[in-house]
Amino acid sequence: MTDHITIDQTPALPPEKPRLTAGSWVRQNLFSSVRSGILTVIFGVFSFFAFKVLVNTMFENPDRDWLAVKTNLRLYAAFAYPITQFVRVWVALGLVLALLGLSLGIWRSASAVAARTIASRLIASGLTVLAGTLLVGPPVLRDEAGEPVYDETFEALRGTWRSGLEQRTGWFLLAFALVAAGVALWFGLGSRRNTLTVPTTLVVWIASGVVIGSTWVVRYGHYGLDPEGVPVGDPDSLVAMSTRMPWTVMWLLVAVAYQLGRFVSRWNSSRLLITAAWFLAPFIAFWVILRDPAIDYGHVWSTDLPMFLGFGVLGGLLLFLLADPKIGELGRFIAFLLVVVAALTFVSGFYGWFSMLQKARISFCLLALFALMANNFAGDRQTRLRFAGAWVLLIGIAHYFITLMNSPSTLELRADSFLGGFLFTMFAALFGLMFSFPLGVLLALARTSTLPIFRLLATWFIEFVRGVPFITVLFFFDIMLPLFLPAGMEAPDMAATVLGLVLFSSAYLAENVRGGLQSVRRGQYEAADAIGLTGAQRTSLIVLPQALRVSIPPLVGQAITTYKETSLFAIIGVFDFLRVANYVVPNQSTPVNFIGHKLEGLIFVSFVYWLGSITMSKYSQNLESKMGVGER
Amino acid sequence: MRKYYLLRLLAVLLGFTLIASACGDDEGSDEGAAEQSDDSSSDSGDSEDVVEATQDGSLLATIQARGELNCGVSGTAVAFSETQSDGSQVGFDADYCRAVAAAILGDAEAVNFVALSAADRFTAVQTGEVDLLMRNTTWTQSRDSEIGMDFGPTTYFDGQQFMGRGADGFSNASDIENLDGLTVCTNSGTTTEKNVADAADAAGVSVTLGGPFEDFNQVMDAFQDGTCDVVTTDGSGLVGQKANNEPNDWVIFPATPISKEPLGPTYGQNDSQFADVVNWTVYATIIADEYGVTSANVDDAVADPASAEIGRLLGGEGELQSGMGLAADAFYQVIKQVGNYDEIYARNLNPVGLERAGSANAGWLDGGLIYAPPAR
Repeated sequence: MTDHITIDQTPALPPEKPRLTAGSWVRQNLFSSVRSGILTVIFGVFSFFAFKVLVNTMFENPDRDWLAVKTNLRLYAAFAYPITQFVRVWVALGLVLALLGLSLGIWRSASAVAARTIASRLIASGLTVLAGTLLVGPPVLRDEAGEPVYDETFEALRGTWRSGLEQRTGWFLLAFALVAAGVALWFGLGSRRNTLTVPTTLVVWIASGVVIGSTWVVRYGHYGLDPEGVPVGDPDSLVAMSTRMPWTVMWLLVAVAYQLGRFVSRWNSSRLLITAAWFLAPFIAFWVILRDPAIDYGHVWSTDLPMFLGFGVLGGLLLFLLADPKIGELGRFIAFLLVVVAALTFVSGFYGWFSMLQKARISFCLLALFALMANNFAGDRQTRLRFAGAWVLLIGIAHYFITLMNSPSTLELRADSFLGGFLFTMFAALFGLMFSFPLGVLLALARTSTLPIFRLLATWFIEFVRGVPFITVLFFFDIMLPLFLPAGMEAPDMAATVLGLVLFSSAYLAENVRGGLQSVRRGQYEAADAIGLTGAQRTSLIVLPQALRVSIPPLVGQAITTYKETSLFAIIGVFDFLRVANYVVPNQSTPVNFIGHKLEGLIFVSFVYWLGSITMSKYSQNLESKMGVGER
Repeated sequence: MRKYYLLRLLAVLLGFTLIASACGDDEGSDEGAAEQSDDSSSDSGDSEDVVEATQDGSLLATIQARGELNCGVSGTAVAFSETQSDGSQVGFDADYCRAVAAAILGDAEAVNFVALSAADRFTAVQTGEVDLLMRNTTWTQSRDSEIGMDFGPTTYFDGQQFMGRGADGFSNASDIENLDGLTVCTNSGTTTEKNVADAADAAGVSVTLGGPFEDFNQVMDAFQDGTCDVVTTDGSGLVGQKANNEPNDWVIFPATPISKEPLGPTYGQNDSQFADVVNWTVYATIIADEYGVTSANVDDAVADPASAEIGRLLGGEGELQSGMGLAADAFYQVIKQVGNYDEIYARNLNPVGLERAGSANAGWLDGGLIYAPPAR
């Protein structure tokens, strides 16, 4: 019998923090000395007045008309996307949310919120609502038409405080409900409130469920205004135009996707597949769902399919042969030849010697790239078949999307781009982040590489892009790029400018990652070499994980910046989220005059931007604590 | 073994040569051109027809074949083209888009509005993205000649005016002479600023220019806190600002603006058939206004025309519309579905306080500049 040695695998619990009573907490943290007491009082008074000014700016203010935001929610969401096709917006959003749910299920986050925290947050938010309700000034008197009544000095007349408090029953009820829920949770759990934790994902899901569920009871936004300016919830509008049903479906979809993600997480390839799906998703959502291309099937059968078969079969065969370990110098020669051919297809097109489909040119370029990589995949029959298979898959996807891009959209054009509002912001941010991250990492590796040509090119690129303001990059890709492309090739505005965003933010990301790379000590490289790892293994298994861990804070900072920078697209004519608030809504004079009601829209827009940013920021904080950044 | 490999490789490479030549031969140069128009028009299904049609004929035939007019508007101009909460467009410019669609297609709703920024508007016409601009665009010499645009009849005569406080003694009858010694504010470095200086010089008064101001919101802030006595910009913009800050005692003067900002339809140059259609659609609304024909009484006017001219215009005997490539009742449809000039003006511009009477936009019989050549 062999002895079984059991090792206690349970991790040591973190040291317990002392639980203080409220009084001693206040004494220790807020009034620990005279100076801190003075600061607390000054800051407390300041926050009180700041809060009071804020609520009074937003509510019961004759200058504010929240109807401007309420009735224009559709413009904020998708600008002028055609009404009859609006269901496409929901399908696109559903695709993104389903992937989000799947990813959350696969990469199950360990982060959890203590029940105690949830209870205290509920009580705190209830008290905030209560304070806000009490601090808002007395109600503005309005005439029958709902317009404020003014005295001769143009000051709005106000009712009594008492009447105001009587009118705000709904807010009092909300505050009471929040406090009651918090108190019930606090005392209902008893001493278990300190030990019981709830996964963050579940908390967020339940909280959004409460908000979405409330849309069945409260009407937050109205679909439109009748000619007299009275808000109407359009009785015969499409389901897609309402909010509660689609949002409920989205909410359930996330839950289903999460469970599915948990189920498939046991398969090894699920992570790879979901990553690939994320990269394909924006293309599918943009070119298939939202753009609804009219594909010419005659052209598909006569040209597209034969081309795919030709490149797929012959290319696969060629790559299979090139990946043969015995091929030697001949392989390099053929790869070089293919590079020359790929270059010639562009050159000949540029000078008009020999015209050819753009798709063929791109395919030749991709083939040359694969041929150059072939000797890295040299091996047994299985490996070579996989390599050839990857080529067929890639060329299939590439040809599919090129066909989609070349097919005209069946949608009517409503602006420079049919994307607008938050839909545009979401897409530009998704595209921008997903493609600039890998590119940024590659650039950082190239810049720290020992190969001078890579190092120089990456350094030049990064320094050049960082030396130019983002607006200039946008103008360049919007106006100048078409001049640089070969004859017969044009990029749609939207694609060109998002490409600009990708390149711009990748340069900044590259520098963040490089900072991380420099923090990895020399010994780590040497240790990797000592155990016989190849260069690629050393980078991907030893160096990058440590470098990326260190650079989480600046990387997330850059992600948030990229998300907010999408608003700059307004200057090249896109009706993005911010532009709707800034120019479209404040210029509506019929059926209700919203002229000049800019602040409401800007507050709403900043709140939505803040929601997105705080989510990313919180996620990075969790990631940091999970990875132990700053502790090890 | 090695030789065997070479043979196989050669066969595959030969295959590629075949593909390459097939791609070139089959599709030829015209496919390349189609690819180009496809790529550029990835947002619009119609551009391919546009490209073809502008080569062999007028835009008019293209629009008729397409069944829809692509009309470029601002989407953010108070009372001229406002984007509504359901994505539709209302306003003076939007109604003129509808009028042109009613004339060409017989249906005022067959318009696809495209919201354009100021920077993109002319490019959109040149690339065929829109057929027509109704985007409060001032008709200037350089735009007419250098940029390659043609301009239709002016539908709205805008111009630079001043706005002051009634409490400071300003009234609608005030004039530039009343500005002596006061601070006038407007966007810095613009032609508006230069116009003020020129007008003050001409009137022999001295005004101080406030500022510098980056945009007009800052100007309005300075006006409200009293730093500026008077603000100035285009009249239609002032009216918007006045409506924005209700209630107030602000007045806009003088009745005759100090600069000329004629706004009207804009289209690509050298397409006279399309230009004629757009121009005469505008003229038809003006002539109908002259004769008092409105959307309400146009059916009576067809049955019993007040004059031979209005009879011809509405598609009666001797009508001239068929010769222009339009239906005989094209302008009847315009008046019936959209209205005459006065109706379009009253519907869109009166609510924001722009009155027609006494302004340059009154009819020529009332001392204004709105005038149409005779329909005969």
